[in-house]
Amino acid sequence: MQAIIDALLGWTGAPQWLLTLIAYVAIATLLFVVAPLTMMFLTWFERRGIALMQDRLGPNRVGPAGLLQPIADGVKMFVKEDITPEGADKYVHALAPIVVAAPAMLMFAVIPWGYNMVPTDLSVGLLFFIAVSSVSAVGLMMAGWGSNNKFSLLGAMRAVAQMVAYEIPLLLAVTSIVMLTGTLSTVAIVEAQGGGFGIGGWFIWTPVGMLGFFIFAVAALAEAERTPFDIPEAESEIVAGYMTEYSGMKFGLFYIANFLLAWLMCAIGVTLFLGGWQGLGVNELRAAGYGVGASILSLIYFLLKTYLLYFGILLIRATWPRLRVDQLMNFGWKWLVPLALANILAAMLWVPITQWDAVRGLGFLAGLSPLARFGLAWLVAAVVNVAAVIFVLRINTARPDEPPYALADEPAAGL
Amino acid sequence: MIAVVDVIPLSWLLILAGALFCIGLFGALARRNVVAMLMGVELMLNAANINLVAFWRYLEPSLITGQVFALFIITVAAAEAAVGLAMAIAIYRTRATVLADEVNALKG
Amino acid sequence: METVVTIVFLIIAALMLFSGVMVVAVKNIIHSALWLISTFFMVGALYLLLEAEFLAVVQVLIYVGAVSILMLFAIMLTRHVMASRPEQAFYRRWYLALGVCLLLFGAAIVPTLLAQQPGFAQATETAQQALGSPERIAGVFSLGVAYVSQYLIPFQIAGLLLLVALIGAIVIAFEERSRRRRILTLAQEHELRRRQAQPLPPAEPVVMAEESNP
Repeated sequence: MQAIIDALLGWTGAPQWLLTLIAYVAIATLLFVVAPLTMMFLTWFERRGIALMQDRLGPNRVGPAGLLQPIADGVKMFVKEDITPEGADKYVHALAPIVVAAPAMLMFAVIPWGYNMVPTDLSVGLLFFIAVSSVSAVGLMMAGWGSNNKFSLLGAMRAVAQMVAYEIPLLLAVTSIVMLTGTLSTVAIVEAQGGGFGIGGWFIWTPVGMLGFFIFAVAALAEAERTPFDIPEAESEIVAGYMTEYSGMKFGLFYIANFLLAWLMCAIGVTLFLGGWQGLGVNELRAAGYGVGASILSLIYFLLKTYLLYFGILLIRATWPRLRVDQLMNFGWKWLVPLALANILAAMLWVPITQWDAVRGLGFLAGLSPLARFGLAWLVAAVVNVAAVIFVLRINTARPDEPPYALADEPAAGL
Repeated sequence: MIAVVDVIPLSWLLILAGALFCIGLFGALARRNVVAMLMGVELMLNAANINLVAFWRYLEPSLITGQVFALFIITVAAAEAAVGLAMAIAIYRTRATVLADEVNALKG
Repeated sequence: METVVTIVFLIIAALMLFSGVMVVAVKNIIHSALWLISTFFMVGALYLLLEAEFLAVVQVLIYVGAVSILMLFAIMLTRHVMASRPEQAFYRRWYLALGVCLLLFGAAIVPTLLAQQPGFAQATETAQQALGSPERIAGVFSLGVAYVSQYLIPFQIAGLLLLVALIGAIVIAFEERSRRRRILTLAQEHELRRRQAQPLPPAEPVVMAEESNP
């Protein structure tokens, strides 16, 4: 973008900082246009997709195949009456949707959309993504408290407990990938997955990435409050939880934040585990010098993969029941966190076997070929992860009266 | 690119941190609610952090020591907030009050 | 360009001090907590201006994302549901605390710093000359290296501290299930009142069944 602005406006002789400012403002404007368009497409995609899965048609009247339905939805949101409950705290009630929706817009800035197409390449981009997603929990509390409604408050407290509890497995799963690549920058993580003709180098083919992807997927579903974790917004729960007293565009902002957060979690999942914009032919085009062609091809791959993951979320929403709130907390703390810690252990074993040499005391490994080292690391990490899964399964499904271990003074069962 | 180091004198940043510290001190001294006192303490810890980061950037930016110290302070502040608020909740359960001057059973 | 940096710094400083004053001045404690969140954001922005990006992101993640939510939960769990008496937010002699703070700021902090400013300017000049290029400012990578080499023991002790704080907070705030007030249904309340009205029957000796060890 900087290059485009320089080419367009360089002849005016404006100072360099002004051109940089214009370039960044242009990028920000583009993001502000892309986010609502994504949201509009997502609502259509979701409603049509779930409807067809449930053997009905979904919106198909407004525009060709219902593609203009989101515009009708938007108009409906805007013209509805904006009610603030009497006795509610006006400012807190009005600010809460903004505090929930603004982080969703901010998170668009660190996703690598394609080759050379990241809005801003922060050196701590991944941590920025997670930090900003944890800010929206404050907005939930404000929404629940500012509605002057006990049920809203209860719903908000449950929603915040769920979001905060599942941030930990999310962070731990992401940490194992950060250990593999040694950097927090999203661009560098995508660049590190370029081997194997653009497909074989993805982290999901490694045992660390497989277990990490599973943990990340579950934790991201819980963060985005999607089925099977959609207690805060489910129709059969406490009215509508923290969103009860909101109507009109304020509810529209909550709606936008929900869809965008789910899509952004898919986007980061693709970046971390499925190779981001890597695919067949992108690196060859780059090497041949067709930068623009590589960018467009990589953008297509990225969007395809992200919408594939989002389609997976829709499948789950259309078919699975939801968890109770205590089952949800149980699952997060007792299943996901131990698995994520074991995944970090596996990553910790992966990095020395594949990357260290005699300088750090692993001289006997330096003699092997990279493929052999990769295979050995794959085996070790797979053993650790499979052992962890079996261990967590046995611990959590043990009957209360029979411990999973044998007591010392009686023969073990089965002998 | 101009960095803030060339433009803003260090003492401005330290005065800003000092002002935030004094505001936090007022909050910790003059408020009756225990949670509000803890908010004042958090302000004071943030002011100390600003001091550390300012000194790091201005006087020794190639070493990471300043940021390490600031991170430890953030860690300790989070731990202290957790335990302090747990105590506030426990006191509320037994004494039905959350005002600091009403928890005076040992007085006199 | 210098004016842009100065204006940005002055805006961040003004917002930070305004939010700080509102934290300690508003009577409604939830508004106080929300102004505290605003102060945390402004401190994070200042860290970004000072080119400590990791610290800025960690500030937002920990303070806004966790400590603020903890404070909001604590406020909501310690409110009087029925406000039986209006409570003062400040002590009666709050102006003494105000005087002390103003004295500390105006008579101790500001003169000291202004007197030291030439020394600061000199030291800053030498440090920036020694630094050379902006790429040599310590970043996330050297932070990671420092945590496992030079500052390993403080790192482990910080982890232990967090574990102790976690366990301690749970133990202090834990409430046994039996001590919670149970809300009874109407039928259960009737039953309870009926049982309390009748005298208890004489106690019979109860034979404890033999328990078999599993």
